[in-house]
Amino acid sequence: MAEMQLGNDKIDTQIAYELVPADLDEALCNVEADEYFMSIKGELNQIDRLVSDAVNNLVINFRYISKLTKSHHDMVLAIEKMAAPEGSKPILELLEKQMIIADKIEQELEMAITSLQFGDLVTQLLAHTARQVEILNIELQRIDRQSNWKSGKKTSHVLHEGISKAVNVANAKSKRKPVVQQGMQMGDIELF
Amino acid sequence: MAKTILAVDDSASIRQMVAFTLKGAGYEVVEAVDGQDALDKANAHKVNLVLTDINMPRMDGLKLLESLRKLTHYKTVPILMLTTESGDEIKAKGRAAGATGWLVKPFDPKRLLEVIGKVIG
Repeated sequence: MAEMQLGNDKIDTQIAYELVPADLDEALCNVEADEYFMSIKGELNQIDRLVSDAVNNLVINFRYISKLTKSHHDMVLAIEKMAAPEGSKPILELLEKQMIIADKIEQELEMAITSLQFGDLVTQLLAHTARQVEILNIELQRIDRQSNWKSGKKTSHVLHEGISKAVNVANAKSKRKPVVQQGMQMGDIELF
Repeated sequence: MAKTILAVDDSASIRQMVAFTLKGAGYEVVEAVDGQDALDKANAHKVNLVLTDINMPRMDGLKLLESLRKLTHYKTVPILMLTTESGDEIKAKGRAAGATGWLVKPFDPKRLLEVIGKVIG
């Protein structure tokens, strides 16, 4: 009997899945859950906008600093040329120090190019997370619809199974994680 | 004459960082925002190297790679993938489709220039 009951539940679940037409997949049953998931998506979008805005500003700053550095470098070279005929040792030493500083700034700017790529990594991860949240919302809405169709109370076991199934489906529907990096160190290079 | 590189990425900041690095080394850079845009620009300019991201709207980097390899001019042009992806499966797909190399983001400007120098001389 117990086996029979289990079998029926299985069939019921299968039928319920089959009964849900594709166009109803998007229909909402549980407004509270949908609003909650929408607010999470909204917050993820907000993070994305803030990060993108910050990256844009940093790139503008970077380009400006880079231009200034080049001008500074050129100026030091020009002064060095003017000072050379005089052979003034203190001036030439000072200019030498200026050149070392200019080179160090250029090195730091090169390193900043690697760090400034964080925006792209973060945006991709946020899009991936937003998609996972959306899929989970759709699957939980499906469970909600099924429970509305069934007469009688759902046992906690059935609900537990339903939620696990929703999470498994959400997992299966999720695309592979687009970013694996845990830090901003340079990525691997492979030539085929 | 400066060699031309087609830099493809939907991220504006990555395109700017790539262009900054390449222009600083004397290359000419044509930028594209996705695979479709890149395919259009690849037809309009005869580029010497393509550096492309994978995850992009409209047409992804692997589709672009396959489409470019079908064009006579791009059968032998080096195509480097610059991506956050580093799984063996997707790398194998890229290799099978004719990618010249695989660079995982974030890139280091010096190393990027070394690799480009190696593949286009």
